[in-house]
Parts: sequence; structure tokens; C-alpha cells
Amino acid sequence: MLALNKIDGKFRGDGVIWFILGVLSLCSVLAVHSSSSMMGFERQGGNTEFYLYKHGFFLLIGVAMTYVCYRIPYRKYSKAAPVLLIGALMLLLLTLGLGTEVNNAKRWITLPGIGLTFQTSDFAKIALIIYLARAITSKQETIHESFGGASLLVPIAAVCLFIAPEDLSTAVLLFIVSLLMLIIGRVSWKLIGLLLLIMMVLFCGLIIIGTFSPDSVRLGTWVSRISEFFSSPDGGYQILQAKIAIADGGITGLGPGHSMQKNYLPAPYSDFIFAIICEEYGLIGAGLIIALYLWFFYRCVGIITRSPKTFGAMLVLGLGLLIVVQAFANMAVSVHLVPVTGLTLPMLSMGGTSILSTCIAVGIILSVSKYIDQVPE
Amino acid sequence: MDIRNEVLSRVYITFFVLCGFSLFIFARAVNISVFEGDKWSAKGDSLYLKYIPVQAERGNIIADSGELLASALPFFEIRFDPNSTGMKAIHFEREVDSLAYCLANYVDNSRNHFEWLEYLKYHRKKGTRNILIKKEASLSEKNEIQKFPLFSRGQYKGGLILDRKSKRQRPFSMLAHRTIGYVRENAQPVGLEGYFDKELAGSEGMRLVQRVGRDYIPVSDLDEIESVAGKDIKTTLNVNFQDIAQSELIKGLKKHDADFGCAVVMEVQTGAIKAIANVKNSESGFWENYNYAVGTAVEQGSTFKLASIMSLLEDKKIELEDLINIENGETAFFEERMVDASMACKDIDTTTIRRAFELSSNVGIAKLVQHYYGTNNKAGEFVERLKKMGLGEKTGITILGEAQPYLKEAYSKKDNWSGISLPWMSIGYESTMTPLQMLTFYNGVANGGKMMKPYLVDQVEEFGETVRKFKPEVLLPKMASSKTIQLVQDLLLGVVENGTAKKLKSNRVQFAGKTGTAQTNYSKIDRSSKLKYRASFAGYFPADNPKYSVIVMVENPKVFGFYGSQVAGPIFKGIAEGIFESEMDLHVALNEKGIPRRVNSKMKGKHVGNKEDFKEIFKNLNIPYRDNIAENKWVQLQPRRDSLNLYPKIFSEELVPNVVGMGLKDALHLLESRGLKVKTSGVGKVRLQSIKSGTAAKGQSIWLTLK
Repeated sequence: MLALNKIDGKFRGDGVIWFILGVLSLCSVLAVHSSSSMMGFERQGGNTEFYLYKHGFFLLIGVAMTYVCYRIPYRKYSKAAPVLLIGALMLLLLTLGLGTEVNNAKRWITLPGIGLTFQTSDFAKIALIIYLARAITSKQETIHESFGGASLLVPIAAVCLFIAPEDLSTAVLLFIVSLLMLIIGRVSWKLIGLLLLIMMVLFCGLIIIGTFSPDSVRLGTWVSRISEFFSSPDGGYQILQAKIAIADGGITGLGPGHSMQKNYLPAPYSDFIFAIICEEYGLIGAGLIIALYLWFFYRCVGIITRSPKTFGAMLVLGLGLLIVVQAFANMAVSVHLVPVTGLTLPMLSMGGTSILSTCIAVGIILSVSKYIDQVPE
Repeated sequence: MDIRNEVLSRVYITFFVLCGFSLFIFARAVNISVFEGDKWSAKGDSLYLKYIPVQAERGNIIADSGELLASALPFFEIRFDPNSTGMKAIHFEREVDSLAYCLANYVDNSRNHFEWLEYLKYHRKKGTRNILIKKEASLSEKNEIQKFPLFSRGQYKGGLILDRKSKRQRPFSMLAHRTIGYVRENAQPVGLEGYFDKELAGSEGMRLVQRVGRDYIPVSDLDEIESVAGKDIKTTLNVNFQDIAQSELIKGLKKHDADFGCAVVMEVQTGAIKAIANVKNSESGFWENYNYAVGTAVEQGSTFKLASIMSLLEDKKIELEDLINIENGETAFFEERMVDASMACKDIDTTTIRRAFELSSNVGIAKLVQHYYGTNNKAGEFVERLKKMGLGEKTGITILGEAQPYLKEAYSKKDNWSGISLPWMSIGYESTMTPLQMLTFYNGVANGGKMMKPYLVDQVEEFGETVRKFKPEVLLPKMASSKTIQLVQDLLLGVVENGTAKKLKSNRVQFAGKTGTAQTNYSKIDRSSKLKYRASFAGYFPADNPKYSVIVMVENPKVFGFYGSQVAGPIFKGIAEGIFESEMDLHVALNEKGIPRRVNSKMKGKHVGNKEDFKEIFKNLNIPYRDNIAENKWVQLQPRRDSLNLYPKIFSEELVPNVVGMGLKDALHLLESRGLKVKTSGVGKVRLQSIKSGTAAKGQSIWLTLK
């Protein structure tokens, strides 16, 4: 990709990020093929490759989306931000009302006509980040005053609130990323304190609703996962299986396709794909994957540093954090640091919407990088 | 620029925090993988490798002469692992076609050769580890399948997975069904299977299996811990006797439309149970579903009178020729009416005690017992005497579920002892026992007063060797004095010769016994309800030298009579005659009666056969013969004045022999050894042969007419 970048003028932007995207996609194909074969065998009449093809198809679409987003001048995202945010909020509300349940969680809506389902929160995340980047940029002058950025709190609270009942981990992730953006964007500490307070109140509200109406909030799942995490020395069944996978992998791993634990881990192709990577490729493979995400964020930091415009920097910061924080959160589950979440490993896990939203985010980052490269330092 | 630096420095801090966090994650992974690696891996092994028990083959239950009553029929579940670890691609490719051919032609033709081929190749490619080949293959089928191409390479290289299982089979189906019993999950164990479960079960083995997908497949084709097959239980049951007892019982139940019944045959000298039949008459037919003989303690009725009269004799209260007034078959004790069942008693006023017993007079026996034990608080003596004769105790037979017998304690409040308890007890009411316990008592009388413990299992065997032998056990060496035993044996014979069972007298085998007719619903009786009875007969045969004792009990016969003599007696007689005729030992052998007369004139036709066979017969029958030739297989008989002469008979190897006069066995041997195909009709000796003797033998078909 680097070479391509120099040959073809159309491929500008950060070549390293293109490269990382390519490597992650390749790893993704390997890991998903191994870990989804059992599900294919069981659900697709013995067709162990069904999910590989499906995944490959989404990867191709994803890379295409990256290219499209990269081609769009990033200033246009700023203009579209309010529309995107309102659209995202409406979609989230729709999901809560009419969503399709998968694995007992109502996070998907089915597209009418084609029957494809997608997870609305994946797009709402990006919409919120773009909006925050725009808002922080436009309020730069007053933002450090006590309540200068107060209007920022409403969209954060609204998006998180709509996601939380069915998908607390995504809501928490999004909240953390938003919080980091606000802090880095120099929002006053008083306002940060206020945001924390609002979130606490909202969360308590959710718990109360969940107590009286268990169908509308997945309170039971939260309680059981958290209590399992703290009460069991092994971290509960799923985490135990992940640890067995990591232990079996050792330093060099069992080799591609040789995972045993994929038979025991629930969702080995998404939530626990990091454990499967550890099992098949060992600590070496795991270290490389961690390094790839860090490298990716390092490149983002470079773009931020060189970005002439605040909006571009904030956009790259938010989207970069979104990807990397989610990646580390996913890994933290497998190594028994946090309770089981439903968070995927961006770009690696199987799951159409997750791949597409990650690709879009990367595309936007690349779009920003395109413009800093035009301006020599 | 100030703002920009402030923002940037915050970005850098965030980056370093993330770096730290990622390092922390990696350190955790290193810790789990390297430092705690063994711990977690071991947990993993225990999760996807596990030991599963391997069922041991259950021992057989066999009859006294070796017939299988219940046996483990082994079968195999055969599976194929097309991706077994040791399978070489070249072997698969070379042999899969032949394997598919074999599977299509010999195992499962729902797929043809090519479909099988496709199927096997498909699963090989898909990485499948487990294909079902045959769910229940017999041992011989399994042996064939094991020889198939690829499969013959074993589990590791050939992917053949054999899972040995077994199911319980009863070759004689209903025969002694309940006595053989069963052991099932979630059910009370029953019968011999239950009692000897420990011996029969053997010990489970262990097999290491690995989880593959949803299934477990064995890690190797050897069990890690071999199971130990169960031991065999050799019973005392005789299949032939059992068959006789059961069919006679069913015949009787059918005729009288009774609810259920049982019949037990015991060997007098040892107490070995030779047959035990329990049959219930249900809408769906006759079936053994409860071991009445062992499990139900009931009022036995008149068969109990034997104990009463023995008690009176043993305590020297009476002589059999003493007179007793039976009051025309009706009396009352404390205003409670007692009536004799036998019509013959209606015309009798005073008679001997012997006669009263033979006619089963309730009045007679009850009056005697009441007279001698009913006063001066002597009822206890009567009960004590019964106990001394071995009544009121369990027999201790080695089968689950023997019911506890019940004898009332004299004057006991707990037992509701009343003024009429003693007379009614003496005629078989107010106390309960099982048919088997009653039979044990009768068997003791037949055995000259030595009461034997009934037993069902002769020995426990392992690989045909005896590992535990059950010897006959004596429960009571002397039930009563020899004189008393002698007297009651005589009485029991009298019952059959002159008494209630007179009509049952057999001209084939002399037996002795006692009828019993108990009323079963007397306590709830009112005028509207129909009386219900329990008919029974207990006795033994041959009367002069008792070999077997038998008890028959039939519950609630509804048509064609209800008396013991009408219902149970004929069943007893059928069993006695059936057993007597099938038992060679009970007959006097021909050669014990001296040399049979030779009636030359009756030896029509020629008698040709194997020389050694003839000699064997003559030796056994003590018939003198003269062997004129030394070395010849075939001989013809020639009667002489004082002996039979054997003359040689020589047959050419190339010609059709003359087989007229031969038995079929010899004729077949001769003809088939010359390449002829033999077809026969009729039974007996060869009368006609379709090809003349002397014709060249060239593999023709020959018809023999036997007569």
C-alpha cells in the first residue's frame, strides 16, 4: 500500500494506516475462518466455509466504504454532523421500539426488503463523534469557561441513554471516548463533573426501570456478568475458557486452525476472537495484534499533531480512540481484567456492521490525513 | 498556539495511558499463558478430555442344564472418523471407493455406491470427525465391517470407531419372567437380576474420550481401564419343568377365568426350586408381572390343616382313628358359624379324625384344636408348636421381595386375638404366609421332616468355572417326630386316594397332597356381594418316594367351580404328570427289569446300521449279541436263537447303496458321502429309495420314504 501510495496519486493519505487496515483484514480472515467453522458446521448444514465467505464479503464492502469515506473531503462531515446525529438518534429509538433480537439483545434493526440486519449503535457512535468534533471546534473560544460547552452534554447523554438499555458496554465505551474528547478539547472540569453526575442519575434511572420492567433493560445480564466476574476466581465459564485458550497457545501458539477452545467459547469469532488468536498464534501473535492497534493510534496522534484544523484533529482523535479503546476493552475481557462485554474487536471480529462502521471511521481518518499531507510541514 | 499545545499534550498523555494499558493487557496474557499456563491447560484438558464409563457385559442367568434364561446380547455402534489423526491421505484416496462399495452393498443400501463415495469424500473434506455407519451391528456384522478397506486399518489410521453395547435378552421370554426379574434405571430392582446385581453387573471400565463438536470420540481404540464382565448365575430352574408349570397354570386360569395364580415346583431332598410360575390374567393376555409365590402372604385356607393335625399328633393329643363329631358339617364357636365346604360332610355325624381330614372338614379340625388348646390358656402351646415346626418364619430365599409371614401370638391384644382366633387359625385363616412358605412346609413333610431352605441359585460362575456354590441348606432338621411325619404322609396320600382329591387320582403317577379353598372376602361380606375364593393344592410325588413337591394357588376362579380340588388340583396333576413323564430318573429303567424277551417274529424287515451304535444299545439293554466280524462300520442284524448276530454290510464307494432298513442318520451319511442329494418324507426307518441300489452315483437327487 505504501508503494501504491507513491505510484498512484489517488491513494494519498496515511499509507501506514492503509497498511494496518490491510494486515488486520488478513488476520481477520484467518481467525474468523478457524473460529466460525464449528458454527458453520452446526448451523449451515456442515458448510464450514459459509461464514468465511460472508465475512470476506463484508471485508470487501468495508474496504470499499473506507475508500468512499476517504474520498469525501472531511469538512463535509462537519456540515452533515447535525443531520447525522438526529438521524442516528431516530434510528436508536426505532431499534429500541422495533428492533430485532439476536442473542437476547435488541440491538439490530432489519432493513426492509433485503432482510439484512444491522446494529444501529455502530453508526450512532460515529455520528456522535463527528458531532462532538464539530461542536468542540466551534466553541473553542469559550469552551474552557465554566459552562461554555454545556450544550455538548445533551447529545452525549441522549445517545448513551438510548444505547444503554440493550447494550451497556457500547454505551460505556462511547461515554468514555466522549469524555476523553471533552477533556482533551479543554472542556472545564466543572462541566465534566456535571456530565458524570448526569450520567450517574441516568444510570440509576435505568436500574430503577430495569427493576420494574425487566423486558426493557437488560439489568439481569449486567448483574449476572458482573457478579460472576467478581465471585468466581476463574472469572466465570466464558473467561475460564478464554484463559484456557491463552494458556494452550503458549508463546508460539498451536498454529492456524488448531484451536480446541473454539468448541467451548461462546462467540469465538467475535467477543472472544482475541483468545482464539492467542491460542492459535501464541503470545507472539497477540503481541503483534496489540502493537498494530497501538501503531494505528500512534499514526492518528501524528495526524492530530500535524492537522492544521481543530475539527480534523478532533475527528481523528475521537474516531481513533473509538477503535483503539474498544479493541483494548475487548482484549481486557479475554485476559480477565473486566467482566464479559459484548464488544467486538474492531476489524478482526466477524460481524458486518462492526466491520463497516470501523471501515467508515478509518476512511474518515484517512480523509483527514489526505489534507495534512497536502500541506508540507 | 497555547491552546494547540495544551490539546496536543493531552493527546500525548492519552496515547501513553493507552500504551500502558496495552502493556498491562499483554502482561496479563503472558501471566496466564506462561506463569499460570499449566494450571489453565489442565483445566482445559479436564474439560475436553474426559473419562466415560464403559459398561461391562452383564453376566448370564442360566437354567439348571445350561439354557440361557437371560443373557447380554452384545451389539456395536459403528462410527467413522474420516479425519482421524493417523489417517494418511493416500490411504483414504486409494481405499475410499472400495469402502463406499462395501458400505452400499453390505451395510446401508439407502445410499448407492456413488452416493456413499460422495458422502465420505464430502465429510473428509469438511473435516467431519464422526459419521454414523450402523447403529446396532451384531457381533458378526461388526466382524465383517471391521474387514472393510480402510476400516481394517483400525481406529487411529482407519477411523473406525466401535462402541460396544449390550442389551438384555430373554430367549425364553415369559418363562419365569418375574423370578429372573430385571434391573432398570428408575425402577425397583426385581428378582434374581436384582438380588445378584452385584455379581451380574461386573465392573465398569473407563475410556478416555475427546470432545469433537457435540460428540465425544474415543482417543484410542483400547479402553483405558478394561471393564470386567459380570459373573453368570446358574439357577436351579429347569426350563422344561418351568414350561410345564407355566402352561398348566395358564390352562387352569383360562378355564376358570381366575385373576392370577402361581405354581412352584421344589426338589424335595434339596429345596431347589425347579420351576416358579406366576401368571396374571389381564385383558391383554397372560403375563408375569408379580412374583405372587414369593411376594404375597395370604391366608392359605385348608392346606394349613396339615400343620394343625401335625400339631395335635405331635403333642400326642389324638390318634387318627379317634372319633370326632363333625355335626353334619356345621357348628358355631361363640356364635360364629363355621361350615364345611365339602358336600360329603353334610351326611356325616361322627367319623374318624382321618376321615375328617381327608374330607377337609373345617368343623372337625377346628373342634379338635379348640378342644385341646382352647382351654386353660393353652392356645400359646398351639402357636409355639406351629413355630417349632418351622412356620411363621421367612424362608430366606435369595430373591428380592419375600413377604413376611404372620402368625398371631396367642391372646395378644396387638394381634386382635379373640375367642374365635384359635379355631379359625387351625383351618388356615387369621394367619398369612406366602405360597412358597407353605410349600417349604409341605416339602419338609415330604422329606421326612427335614425342612429344606428353598433356593433358586445353584452357583455363581465365571468363565464356566464355579466361583461360589450354594449348597442345600437345612432350615429345620426335624419338624416333628418320624412317627408324626409318617402319619401325616399317609394322611396326605389318603386325601388323594379317598378324600377331597379322589377325582384327581392319576394312573400315571401316585401323588399325595391337600386341597385348599379359602374364602377371601369373608370380612366384607354382605348378601349382595359374590363370594370370592382362593383355590390351592399343595403336595408331592411320587407318594412312596417323594422327588418333587408342588404348590398351586389360583386367586378368584369365577367359572367351573372354585374348590381347590376343582381348580388347583388339576393344575397340580398336570404338572406332576408332565414332570414325571419327562424325568427319566423317576422311571424304572428297562435294564433293571431283567433281559427283555426277544421276539424274533416281530423283527420285520432288515435292520442295518452302524455297528458301534448297535453294540452300545445292546450293552445298555443287556442283550447278548455276537460280533462276527472285526473291522466293518456297517452291519446287518440277524436274529439267532440265543443272541443277535452282526453281519458285515459292505457298500461300494461309486454305487448307490441300499439304505432300506436304516435309520435316517445312517442313510444320510452313506448317501451324501457318495455325493447324492437326499430328500425325505415321513418318519421312521427307510422304506423306499427312489434310485435302485447299484446304480452309479453321480450326484443325483434321491427320494427316501420313511415309515
